[in-house]
Amino acid sequence: MVDYVVTQRMPSRMPARAREASLLRNLDWVLLATVVALVGYGLWAIDGITKLDVAGDPDYYVKRQAAYALIGSIGLIGAVLIDPQLYRRHSRIVYGGMIAMLLLVPVIGVEVRNTRRWIELGAFQFQPSEFGKLLVILSLAAFLADRGKRVAEGRTMLAATGLALVPMILVFLQPDLGTAVAYAAALWATLFVAGTRWVHLSALLGVAALASVVVLWAAPAAGIHLLADYQRDRLTGFLNPSENPQGSTYNITQSTTAVGAGGLDGRGVSGATQTNLNYLPEHHTDFVFASLAEQRGFFGVSILLLLYLLLIWRAIKVITYATDAYTATVAGGIAFVFLVQIFINVGMTIGMAPITGIPLPFVSSGGSSMVVNLASVGVLQAICARRR
Amino acid sequence: MASTGARVRPGRFLPRDPRAQTPYRLTPQMVFRIGILGFLVLVAFAILFFRLWALQVLSGTQHLQAAENNQLRTLRIEAARGPIRDWRGRVLVDNAGATAIRVYPSDLPDKGAYAELKRLAQILRVPLVDITKQIEQYQGDPVTPVTVKEDATEAEVQFLTERNAEFPGVVVEDTYVRRYPFGDLAPQLLGHVGEISPEQLAEQRSYRSGDRIGQGGVESAFDKFLRGQTGLARLRVDSLGRPTSAALRDTDPIPGHGLRLTLDAKLQRAAQAALVYGIDLALDEGNWNANAGAIVALDPRDGAIRAMASHPTFHPEVYVKPGQRKQLQLLLDQEAAAKANYPSLNRVTSGLYPPGSTFKPVTALAGMQEHILAPYDAIPCTGEVTIFKQRFRNWNPFVNEAMTLPTALAQSCDTYFYEVGKRFYDLPPERGHPLQEWANRFGFGQLTGLDVGPELAGLLPTPEWRKATYTKKTDPCCWEIDRLWKPGDSVQLAIGQKDLQVTPLQMARMYALIANGGKLVTPHVVAAVQQGNARGGPTGPLTLRRFSPPPREIAIDKEALEVVREGLYQATHAADGTSAGTFGHFPVPIAGKTGTAERLINFTDYSTLMDTSWWCGYGPSHAAELVVCALIENGGFGGEAAAPAALKVFESYFGEQAGLVQPAEAD
Repeated sequence: MVDYVVTQRMPSRMPARAREASLLRNLDWVLLATVVALVGYGLWAIDGITKLDVAGDPDYYVKRQAAYALIGSIGLIGAVLIDPQLYRRHSRIVYGGMIAMLLLVPVIGVEVRNTRRWIELGAFQFQPSEFGKLLVILSLAAFLADRGKRVAEGRTMLAATGLALVPMILVFLQPDLGTAVAYAAALWATLFVAGTRWVHLSALLGVAALASVVVLWAAPAAGIHLLADYQRDRLTGFLNPSENPQGSTYNITQSTTAVGAGGLDGRGVSGATQTNLNYLPEHHTDFVFASLAEQRGFFGVSILLLLYLLLIWRAIKVITYATDAYTATVAGGIAFVFLVQIFINVGMTIGMAPITGIPLPFVSSGGSSMVVNLASVGVLQAICARRR
Repeated sequence: MASTGARVRPGRFLPRDPRAQTPYRLTPQMVFRIGILGFLVLVAFAILFFRLWALQVLSGTQHLQAAENNQLRTLRIEAARGPIRDWRGRVLVDNAGATAIRVYPSDLPDKGAYAELKRLAQILRVPLVDITKQIEQYQGDPVTPVTVKEDATEAEVQFLTERNAEFPGVVVEDTYVRRYPFGDLAPQLLGHVGEISPEQLAEQRSYRSGDRIGQGGVESAFDKFLRGQTGLARLRVDSLGRPTSAALRDTDPIPGHGLRLTLDAKLQRAAQAALVYGIDLALDEGNWNANAGAIVALDPRDGAIRAMASHPTFHPEVYVKPGQRKQLQLLLDQEAAAKANYPSLNRVTSGLYPPGSTFKPVTALAGMQEHILAPYDAIPCTGEVTIFKQRFRNWNPFVNEAMTLPTALAQSCDTYFYEVGKRFYDLPPERGHPLQEWANRFGFGQLTGLDVGPELAGLLPTPEWRKATYTKKTDPCCWEIDRLWKPGDSVQLAIGQKDLQVTPLQMARMYALIANGGKLVTPHVVAAVQQGNARGGPTGPLTLRRFSPPPREIAIDKEALEVVREGLYQATHAADGTSAGTFGHFPVPIAGKTGTAERLINFTDYSTLMDTSWWCGYGPSHAAELVVCALIENGGFGGEAAAPAALKVFESYFGEQAGLVQPAEAD
């Protein structure tokens, strides 16, 4: 076989202006436009959904969300300017920093509704587990890229799994099942793109499936409760939503009703009773999609889903621009984690997926999620901009 | 390996692979994997799109319906309950506007609900336990409020409205409560209105939990006319059931129909006073345990009840007026009620007593009908008589003369009727038990069919009843003897003693039959259902429906009846008549019979026989308009207490005063 010899680019030797020019030239403008459209659409959606949530200040949430988007944009630009190889070189710092951050949460975190996920940062609350989504991808990709062809070895896969399990368990204990699932997706995607063998990937999936069976069914049957009852009910409730419509499946019933009631063109902002009368819980965070569906109908959500499709398509395309296994794996991980978040979030509002607290990217109100998602796009752009 | 040996220490876990430096290229495998990733993306989005299409477009209408139903709650608007009037149109019961204090459990604050309720209880002077118990009952039902107080005072309402911010979930609502312009008039008969009980709810499907329903008496028996129709309104609510708009009325409530009773408020008042008077008389005569009684007055022509009094009694407002919990306890709590001698018991319909001598006309009529008694053949009346080796005494030990039936009735000769009882016993078995059969035809041992409950049938003893009642199980010592019908049973039955048990209403019905010439009437309290204004108004209420159950003709010899009537007239007018001292000087001719029935009274540590004082009769004797039956428990001789009490009712009815009244110690 013939090895292709590729000239190593030496960005440090190029003049700064030329480097910036080349960065700008190589940016994925379609991806950028898509993200701008998504953020704009998300702000518009939040504006309509939260009109009645804070008495006397109909713009409370949209203003906050716009501020987050602004901070996120700075993060995006920053991420474009940083060479992704930097994260690879300092992957231990990245990984260690993430673990340290997650360990800090139970110590100085604030408790909201029995979960401890946030760290108070002045007027804002900062959610380390959200940042973890990107950091897990960056560190796992570095680990796998450094293993080179050994990536095909089972040991490598096991080691990567072990590395991912640490933050997963930390997040799971917060408890934040949804984010733990997102980390698992990041692990699976990085392994997949980095080139883990099919047998290993399937084994991993099999073990994951077995684990969920054990956690959800076998262990409780044996009297060991790894999940709180409410968590288990939520996870399994979507399988038969009519079982207990006032109790554990209340959310699913109300959310499906809201989505369905939206019809083709929506009930408008003022007519969306499920949202406005609070039948729909958490309608500006976890169930924001249901509210959007109620207010804007099938057309409204179709636009959003098409924008997502565009986003993920461009993200996958970035994999092909990657100059090395590392950046390719990072891009693949980011793309896949986006997909999983979107699918689970939308799926749970329409009764197809268990209810786990996963925010809808660019739409759910929440600072950490917005900043991380924009920064992730920044990383994608950084990879794209440094293509050949 | 050697070239990079400086950097990679051997034996280190998973050392970096030097080939990691190999230039990167897009291998076919990579392209394949990217393709799979893209395929996954497409599949995921396709699933989402199809599901959304199915949900929003294909079944959007159903979900829209569900969303609409989510926010509309149906409210029930109370209808004004119909008024109850007496025979002459006087309002006995109607409604008063009241202000209810209610709590919506769902609107109580998460924290501090207990403190709020505690404060509310203090302000309204309602026990906190009552509130919390009710709230627990309605948990999970955000639209049904809990009524804390039905009739709040103006000061309380003002206090709460001024501070409504401090009492989230507490509302002040207009409601109706029953008003009793005549006070404590016939409370046992009228009944009251109260929240529906779970048992009633299980029976009546058209009611809802929290509804108010007639409890006892007229209110209960005619509830379906009185209650009206609840109105419906719709209310927009949020997910916690909090109203977000004013209620939209769908249907207006329809006020209930009114009732016109056969009762006469004035006569009822007189009857209640007469009971108190009779008890006082009995107490004066040394009957220390005279503590209760019953009077019923009815029209013998159609069975319309004109008065129905039971003592001890109570004020019906205890059910509506706050702060009368102690009084209410006497009615609701078993132990307290027993101590107060059961004020809520309607002794006219549910009190069971042996009738004593007031039963003698029944024996006389039956004897004549069966041709075992010739009314004008003389039978000796003595101080005592021995029948089948058993000695039976007369109430008056000093008498010794032969009597005809009218005289025997007038003087209430027991030995005369013992003889008649013996004749009944001596009848051959193929004749059956004619005395009981006649008594049954006259309405004993069965319900009178009064339109207002509750009512008891009493007991008409027969040989069959003895046989069935006394068994080895119930009477282990003596069942073999007790189950036999003995001569004493017939002899005692003839004078209305021993096992026979009747209600005052059954007796009144019997005397109505004597008075009206052989027709068995059905007593009734409600004359008509009316529609229209509660307060009379210029046009007056419109009658929708009348109730006048037709009397039943009993095949009875008119001459036999006439003999009995003669005896009853003599009883109130002849020199030796048992209540002649009471009725002899009354301007309207009254005929009637005293009774003194021995009844076993149980005290805490002993039991003894005490006399129930009876008087039943009618007037005017030639064309009777009113039958009165009076009874004073433990009141001594019938002539002593019951007869003077009955006279009071006649005085009120005819508007006449008796000249000279001399109650006699006579049976």
